[in-house]
Parts: sequence; C-alpha cells; structure tokens
Amino acid sequence: MVVLSAARWVRSRLTDRFWRVQEVLKYARHFRGRKNRCYKLAVRSVRRAFVKSTKARREKKRFLRALWITRIEAASLEHGLKYPAFISNLIKSQVELNRKVIADLAIYEPKTFKSLAALAQRRRQEGFLAALGDGKEPEGIFSRIVHRY
Amino acid sequence: VAKTSLTSPPWPKVKLPDPVEEAKFHAEVVQKVNKMIATGQYGRLFAVVHFASKQWKITSEDLIMMDNVLEAECGDRIRLEKVLLVGADDFTLIGRPLLGKELVRVEATVIEKTESWPKINMRFRKRRNYQRKKIIVHPQTVLRINTIEIFPCLS
Repeated sequence: MVVLSAARWVRSRLTDRFWRVQEVLKYARHFRGRKNRCYKLAVRSVRRAFVKSTKARREKKRFLRALWITRIEAASLEHGLKYPAFISNLIKSQVELNRKVIADLAIYEPKTFKSLAALAQRRRQEGFLAALGDGKEPEGIFSRIVHRY
Repeated sequence: VAKTSLTSPPWPKVKLPDPVEEAKFHAEVVQKVNKMIATGQYGRLFAVVHFASKQWKITSEDLIMMDNVLEAECGDRIRLEKVLLVGADDFTLIGRPLLGKELVRVEATVIEKTESWPKINMRFRKRRNYQRKKIIVHPQTVLRINTIEIFPCLS
C-alpha cells in the first residue's frame, strides 16, 4: 500500500549539522582568536565581515578616485601646475582622459605627462588672454572712466 | 588712472609666441613625427583605449579583464576603435577626444569568458532581526591585446 504522509510518531533528526556549521566556519578560518573555531562567535564575526565587505565595495571607488587625484596633483606640481588648473584646462582642450589613466601615465610615462601638463598650461594662458579682452575701457555711461585733466 | 588692486589681473602678464612662427614650428614637428612613423623609428607603443565604459592603458601582449559579456566567441579578433591616446618613446599622439580610425589600429582576441568568484552581498540591521544574504556571480571576459599599429597620415 502507498503511504503519502509520514507517521506521526516518527521524528526527524538533523543529520547535516556538521556541514551547516562548516559553511560558516570556512569564512572565519583566517580570523584571530576563538572566533575562528567556535561557531557562536564565528557567526557574528562572519556576518560583520560580509556586511563590511559589501559597504567597502562602494567606498573603494571613492577611495581610489581620491588616490588618483592626489597622485595627479603631486605630478602636476612637479611641472608647476596645480591640480584644478591642470584638470580644468585638459577638459577645456577636449582631452577626455580619466583620472585613473592620467595617474598611470604620471607614474609610467613621464614624458607623456609632461606634454599633457604643457598642453594644460598653454590652454590656461590662452584662457587668461581671452578673459582680458581688448584692454580698452568699457563702453557705456556709468562704467565710463572720467579723465580729469 | 591710479593703480589699484583691480587695475591689473591677479595672474602674471602672459605673452604668447608669434602665431605665424608657431604655425611653422607646428608643421615642422608634424612632418618630423610623420617621417618617424613612416620609417618605423619607434619601439613599443602604448595606447589609451575606451572600452566597456572604462579607459584602459594598454600595450601589445597584455591581458584585459572586463566585468561584462561580449557578443563574440572565444578566439575572435576584435578591433578596439575608441582610442584616446597613442604614445611611443619619443612622441605621443593625443586625441581630442578620439584619434582617427585611419591613424591607429588596435587588435585584440577574446581569450576566455568565465564567471567571477561568488561575491557575497549581506545586509544586516542590529536588534531588528533583519539580515539578507545574496551571492552574486557576474560574467567576465578576458581579452589579449595583439597589436597596436599607427599609420603616417598626420597633417
């Protein structure tokens, strides 16, 4: 005869407790102290480790960008330019290199970085000249300068 | 008019070189670089390529791994088109923003298409009995850059 449901007096016992515990302890084996051996302490540590790693994956991007910016600033100061001047003038000259690549160039290709710094410096000077305009007095009535002879 | 703090700008006076002479100098430099490229007097070339929404600084024979799927089979040769910068020991060609396709040619081969190691995303709020664990495995592609070639079509 076919029995579809188990009898009520048969209780099931947990047989794979070892492997469930090992699943958690395998992530804790390189920890320090009792939390690499004892399950109760390891569960808490492993949970915190996972949460910290998820948050760190988002902050790694911010951290690396700050690192690149520091490196580019140091390299451009060697060529006599500050970082905001360097980056803004590069963007104005339509050079779309990102900070990661510029930092790599500053480390491994110093001549290329020097040429980029020269490009930014030249664009900066052209910007200054364009801002000055003609050098004459402005037209208008209230902005006219009165000459007292 | 008396000199005040606002009569002259805060930056030092700038004098640009003569435009005619500069144009001559630029043409000379371009001719020289063209000749160097035509005669092949460069060693190893490096290029900055925009691919898979990232910029990579690559040379020949190096490996690149990207976190996405390419619609190309393993062993396909691919030409990377968006080249931002090409350089050798003595000269660099900076694109504004890209270099022409008839100037640079970057070839790559798709080597392997795998999945990443299982990354664990966990969210936890204390004292609220809230924790969620998710295992993320995303596809990766590995490319090997075969060659970077430049052609002498500067003007």
